[in-house]
Amino acid sequence: MPTAFPLPSDLSPATVTNTASLLRIVALSLISGAAIASRLFAVINFESIIHEFDPWFNYRATRVLASKGFYEFWNWFDPTAWYPLGRVVGGTVYPGLMATSGVIYNFLHALNLPVDIRNICVMLAPGFSALTAWATYMFTKELKDESAGLLAAAFIGIVPGYISRSVAGSYDNEAIAIFLLMFTFFCWIKALKLGSALFGTLAAVFYFYMVAAWGGYVFITNMIPLHGLVLILMGRFSSRLYVAYSSWYAIGTLSSMQVPFVGFQPVSTSEHMAALGVFGLLQIVAFTQLVRSHVSSKQFQDLLFLALVTVGLLGFVGVVGLTYKGVIAPWTGRFYSLWDTGYAKKHIPIIASVSEHQPTAWPSFFMDLQFLIFLFPAGVVLCFHQLRDEHVFVIIYAAMASYFAGVMVRLMLTLTPVVCVASAVAFSSLLDTYLDAAEPAEAADDASETASASGSNSGSKKAKKATASAATPGSALGDIVAAATPAKKGEKVKGIFGLDTRLAIIVNAFGMLAFFVFHCTWATANAYSSPSVVLASTNPDGSQHIIDDFREAYYWLRQNTPETAVVMSWWDYGYQIAGMADRPTLVDNNTWNNTHIATVGKAMSSSEEVAYPILRKHDVDYVLVIFGGLLGYSGDDINKFLWMVRIAQGVWPEEIQEPNYFTPQGEYRVDDKASTAMKNSLMYKMSYYRFAELFGGGQATDRVRQQQVPKIGPTLDYLDEAYTTENWIVRIYEVRKEDLLGRDLKSANAFAKGKKRKRSKPVSRRRAIVN
Amino acid sequence: MPPKSAPAANAAPSSAVQTLWKAYNDSTSDRLKFIDAFLVFLMLSGIVQFAYCVLVTTFPYNAFLSGFGSTVGQFVLTASLRSQVNPENKNEFKDVSPERAFADFALGSIVLHFFVFNFLG
Amino acid sequence: MLSFYSLPLFFLSLAGLLHAKSSDGDSVLVLVENAHKKDFSLFFDDLKEQGYSLTFRAPKDEKPAVVEYDVPAFSHIIILASESKNFAKDITPQSLVEIVSGGTNLLIGLSPKQTPLSSLAAEFSLVLPPPGTPLISFFPERKDPVSVIPIDASLPSTILPAMSPVWFSGVPFAHGNNPRLVPILHAPAESFAADSQGGADVLVDATEKGGEGLWAGSQLSVASGFQAAGGARVTWLGGVDMLSDKFFKKQVSKAKSGNARFAREVSAWTFQESLVLRIDSTTHHLVNSTTPEEHYTTNDNIVFTAHISRFHPKTATWEPYSGIKDLQLEFTMLDPHIRTALPAVAGSPGTYSVTFRAPDRHGVFKFVVDYKRKGWTHLHSSTTVALVPPRHDGYPRFLSAAWPYYAGAISTSVAFFVFSAAWLAGESREGKKAKGGKAQ
Repeated sequence: MPTAFPLPSDLSPATVTNTASLLRIVALSLISGAAIASRLFAVINFESIIHEFDPWFNYRATRVLASKGFYEFWNWFDPTAWYPLGRVVGGTVYPGLMATSGVIYNFLHALNLPVDIRNICVMLAPGFSALTAWATYMFTKELKDESAGLLAAAFIGIVPGYISRSVAGSYDNEAIAIFLLMFTFFCWIKALKLGSALFGTLAAVFYFYMVAAWGGYVFITNMIPLHGLVLILMGRFSSRLYVAYSSWYAIGTLSSMQVPFVGFQPVSTSEHMAALGVFGLLQIVAFTQLVRSHVSSKQFQDLLFLALVTVGLLGFVGVVGLTYKGVIAPWTGRFYSLWDTGYAKKHIPIIASVSEHQPTAWPSFFMDLQFLIFLFPAGVVLCFHQLRDEHVFVIIYAAMASYFAGVMVRLMLTLTPVVCVASAVAFSSLLDTYLDAAEPAEAADDASETASASGSNSGSKKAKKATASAATPGSALGDIVAAATPAKKGEKVKGIFGLDTRLAIIVNAFGMLAFFVFHCTWATANAYSSPSVVLASTNPDGSQHIIDDFREAYYWLRQNTPETAVVMSWWDYGYQIAGMADRPTLVDNNTWNNTHIATVGKAMSSSEEVAYPILRKHDVDYVLVIFGGLLGYSGDDINKFLWMVRIAQGVWPEEIQEPNYFTPQGEYRVDDKASTAMKNSLMYKMSYYRFAELFGGGQATDRVRQQQVPKIGPTLDYLDEAYTTENWIVRIYEVRKEDLLGRDLKSANAFAKGKKRKRSKPVSRRRAIVN
Repeated sequence: MPPKSAPAANAAPSSAVQTLWKAYNDSTSDRLKFIDAFLVFLMLSGIVQFAYCVLVTTFPYNAFLSGFGSTVGQFVLTASLRSQVNPENKNEFKDVSPERAFADFALGSIVLHFFVFNFLG
Repeated sequence: MLSFYSLPLFFLSLAGLLHAKSSDGDSVLVLVENAHKKDFSLFFDDLKEQGYSLTFRAPKDEKPAVVEYDVPAFSHIIILASESKNFAKDITPQSLVEIVSGGTNLLIGLSPKQTPLSSLAAEFSLVLPPPGTPLISFFPERKDPVSVIPIDASLPSTILPAMSPVWFSGVPFAHGNNPRLVPILHAPAESFAADSQGGADVLVDATEKGGEGLWAGSQLSVASGFQAAGGARVTWLGGVDMLSDKFFKKQVSKAKSGNARFAREVSAWTFQESLVLRIDSTTHHLVNSTTPEEHYTTNDNIVFTAHISRFHPKTATWEPYSGIKDLQLEFTMLDPHIRTALPAVAGSPGTYSVTFRAPDRHGVFKFVVDYKRKGWTHLHSSTTVALVPPRHDGYPRFLSAAWPYYAGAISTSVAFFVFSAAWLAGESREGKKAKGGKAQ
């Protein structure tokens, strides 16, 4: 057989296999190394610090777990969160992440390696990303072959869409959840392929781990049943499906209910009903199959089919009825917002106010996935081409995840693995086709023969098929290339000729890979490694300047306030205050109580007189606001202010109205033309208090909103400025106690400043005359 | 069942059930029958528990779920075992030998019972 | 009648000789013009007898300073310099409020003229009549000027016991809407604020001058107490003459006037001698335990105990006090979830205790005792405690209602083992059979 380039011929098959597996192991370990290393930008550029908001809570919870043990953690009631409601932490977290860190911590300490719990937390996500690469390898291997698996592993290892959630310090549920997601899917595919209850059980156990780790487990809960259902509808029911699904569902559901936060949801909420329905359906279908194997009467089969449909319909009606009656909880708001992107904004502003719940912008697809986004459809098409059971799974996964990723930014994360898998399948098909040394020479002869002898059409067809399969053994792309060309022009031979075509394609392909690596490295280093607790800017000379206002403020609180001092801030900063300042907070990122958040929103958006009783009632000692006007930090509270107004309006529509905060022209302004409600709001006053003084009589400019702030700034009677950080990003105000003479604080303040009070008339004078 | 098929069904089931039963008796090996006996026991146990839950009390809901779940789980695992060791399905389960099937079954059951007893109290 | 009144007075003054002291300290600064110092000698002597050490200072003197190193230098300040328009720099309305917030008690006498003190009075929710209009009354008929009025004090109030009429000369004031004000002595019903030089048309003039009407009647006060949030007490007198030797000695309907007694009682109240309470300690614990917990479980039975003492000026000691009948305990999270009486425990003086069942609601709760009665020291105590849900093993297990489920689960497990054993046995038998078959 002619080859395009010389191949060594003196290798025994055993040597080839051994070398290939060694190379695979080396490649996988290199991929793991790259995956971990590229996530360390955050540590190198900044420091070993917990990032963002939610990780701070996870970190704090992990510390409790590590210091007090699992049972205390399970029963942990945190009186400092949601003051004064408190939070039953043990029953309202997914403990998988903390438990994982706790196990690692105890394991290392048992080995006498005194590793700090913070470093474990920081390094957990990179570590698990290596495992994710491995799980993706296994998964893709089941789809195609090892080389596609390696490619997929390499892609998932460095793709920005996944790195964005798993850099060192990004200690969040997603850090381990993606590994669990991929591994559960792998077990499921494997169980389905083999019809093995063992892998079904494994899938269930990892599903349990996933349930314990991330609320996104619902994705698995619905993906696997959907896959099962599609297979049944495609007429692909088999005992293997029955074994795999039944063992997964029976054990998985029972185990998922062990997680306190999930509780009875798997049997009582709509999100989980699909899995239950498919389970029931499978039992019926299996029973039917059993009966059918014993009886072969046509009429009887019809009867059974009818019964099947009836039972299915009854079941559906039953579920709907139970939902209507309230036995089964209806869909939650978050679920609705998946289908109607405007739903959340209308009905649940608290969900819409989270930036990661916004619909995804197109550029971010390219930013997160780069050239994979182009390869992805090709991979899906290749899946159609083979369409074994596992390919059906990938197709469904791809369709669902693409939709969800378009609806919510954070769900980009669930799309990323399938993009990597499908792209790897496509890319490795390409490489398989073009790296294969076999020349379609035989076919060329054949073709020339058929060209001369036009009569033997069928023979040439056969030959062509043989050529194609010889040229690209096991390559789907070759088939597609073959299938795409019209059959009647069978004279034309399919295949890759010569070294130049190969080189052109291969060089291109590797060029794309190289660009991908560059892009990933760049995106990781520049976009996704910022801890957002510490900000970085560049000095004129190019050196890095660290803006550390958040920690400055939190440590000020920690050092200068009593331990019981309650701090009020918008909920974004709740976890950070609890984690870094160790002070009770009113609301935090666990947004479970809308009314409490709306109370804070109301306090922030009302005038001082209205806000003060709210503050006193909740024992607030300090109020913390984020103000970016001096530095141009756009994620500040004034920019979030409208959400506070909206959320407060949802609870007190008579007192807070969003239009009041706009100018009559409908503009959102903070300058002279700002509306009265805006200017009187506590948030405005706290943000701009004494801001103009900073400009020494010059024109004070808010650099975020590019507006001129009034020269005479707002005054505060009920709050005292306690601390403002270096760049004015965090401002802390102390709430005054009630006046000791029982006056309202406004007049007390006026008196203290030496202003003459108006002579007041006695209140009870008229009565005095009567008496 | 829809009324349309009622007349047909009237005549069919009695004979159909008989033929079914006969065919079952003839073509099923003793081992499979043994499994089926176990399945029937599990089903009865499950029905009793479900009836108790519906008719008397759902109060310790977790106990009900674990008790009922254990019968259902055991049932489907045993049914899986049944289909795996069934000689008719030989070509579907190429990689699963009967011994392997039993090992899978045992492992799955042990995991199941672990969760059942964890959830029971 | 006279002996009836004077006998206890005698004993009281005798008891006063036993070196009574304020619960707050005994250093008193008296701001008085040097010229008027001797007018109040009886009052000062009485205070000295009570054990106070008096320091005198003219209003314009700089020394001794009222506040030294940010700490008030005196426990009590008496301002009798009512006529002064100007005070030294460190005595301004603002600084006086500061001093009160530091816990210093004030006894202030007003004058009909507009002085800095009049503007201070407004901060204490006292509303003064227009300047230059003292209280006058034509009743009862007497030789004295109309602005020197005997005020009947025969009805006992919280601060004053029943006593002989008290001579008064000065301005009345109306009370603003402030719960911290405590009326001590009301103006007579037939008195009114007017220009005393006015002659016959005085009533008409006063009505016009008052703007909207006449400043008259018994709702006006001539002496009022004020309890500031920090615990300091401030007493406002309509005129300083009430404390003067002249009024002390002046007779009312041929009996001795009540002014000396009035001065004693008012200064005793102002200087934290009488009606002084404090919460010594509060504890809380479970019913069958004695040590306080960091947190309680919902529906626990909790015992809350408060120990309250009252200051006894005669012995200058704090003694347990069980006399409060209407003490309440609130168990509060945002709103009181439980509000219950906190009764005194019989046989254990000064102890108030109550047992209650915690609400079925977790959160951060506070035990709040908030006792505010006019004249008495305001008692406030707040203890924070978390109320947590039951632990995971704190719920009842093994319910009788669940036995079918237990039986079901256990029978399934047992059946599983039996089945497995039988299966394995069958397998080995079958294996033998198969082997046997092969062998044959």
